[in-house]
Amino acid sequence: MDLEAIKRDFLHQVFDETAYEVKADTLVAYARACGETAARFTDPLAEDFQAVPTFVSSFQPGRRLPKGFPKLPGLGMDGGKVVTAHAPLRAGEQVVGRSHIEDVYAKTGRSGTMTFIVLRMNVYDASETLLASADTNMVIRERAKPVKEAEA
Amino acid sequence: MLLDLHTHSIKSDDGRAKVANYCQWIRSRSLPLDGFVLTEHRQFDAESDYSALAAKHDLVILKASEVETEYGHVLVFGVTPEMTQALDFADIRLPLAEVLAVSEASGALAVPCHPGRRRVGMCAHLETYGVPPNVSVIETRNGGSREDEDDRAQALAEAQGYHGIGGSDAHIVSHIGRCATRFAEPVRTMPELVAALRSGNYEAVRTEAS
Repeated sequence: MDLEAIKRDFLHQVFDETAYEVKADTLVAYARACGETAARFTDPLAEDFQAVPTFVSSFQPGRRLPKGFPKLPGLGMDGGKVVTAHAPLRAGEQVVGRSHIEDVYAKTGRSGTMTFIVLRMNVYDASETLLASADTNMVIRERAKPVKEAEA
Repeated sequence: MLLDLHTHSIKSDDGRAKVANYCQWIRSRSLPLDGFVLTEHRQFDAESDYSALAAKHDLVILKASEVETEYGHVLVFGVTPEMTQALDFADIRLPLAEVLAVSEASGALAVPCHPGRRRVGMCAHLETYGVPPNVSVIETRNGGSREDEDDRAQALAEAQGYHGIGGSDAHIVSHIGRCATRFAEPVRTMPELVAALRSGNYEAVRTEAS
């Protein structure tokens, strides 16, 4: 697998743009599911009502990966999400999420070689202000090889 | 002087510890450490400056790297800008011989770490590639070791005449200091550390923190 070629061909190129409508009841339901109790997250009438910062990680892009992205051999897993909040996301806003591949790298560990694909969705409001960046880490783990008895 | 020679901060993709929090933990728990070395995965963190933190907490904080080779993971102490040009630290299949040679030429020292660990430790690859020449030091005490992994490392060191170092391999704050290296002489800079490691005048220890 040539990660350098993948980086060259796909890194930092927007491959999906999807619009989302931010509804107050959805924000409240998300906040409650997270265990939030602060009024600014759970009460639409609160003065500073806004989305819990991680809410943007619930946005699903129209495409998961760019067209033509190679199928990497191994077992795919969700490697977790990271959200960087830049500005509050408010109810009633129409926002757009633009997705690109932020990084691709490999590492080795006890369980073998793993390739990480970091998918980043940048979320903008109607005035093109960047509200948040939501990273989704995809992990591709190589198929397990038998471990020698001496190593087990 | 007791130094933890193998730690990771949030600069590593799997590190969850801020360097400031390592310092606070060491002091709040009165760990016997005099300092630690940050060995970030597949990179050398040239930009971070921890001198103010080190002064504030009266700790030695040094920077090194952990790279990946066909023999498993290897700590590199004394990384120079020339080394980062000569070697692609992000490559997970660096030839160990090249890492050793470039390190030697640059006045650095390459130390295979957690050699008893499966897949990413040197012992797992000896049958395939043989005993690599020019290794002089390995990590014989690693805070992340399971079961008999450190015993395997110690046996390898004894069989090959390697010196042994210790490091916690901490990725979270509370793991720092689980293993460390005790030096007879003060070590406050990277050149002093490399010189001390070459001297062989130290011992790997598993601490009470473990």
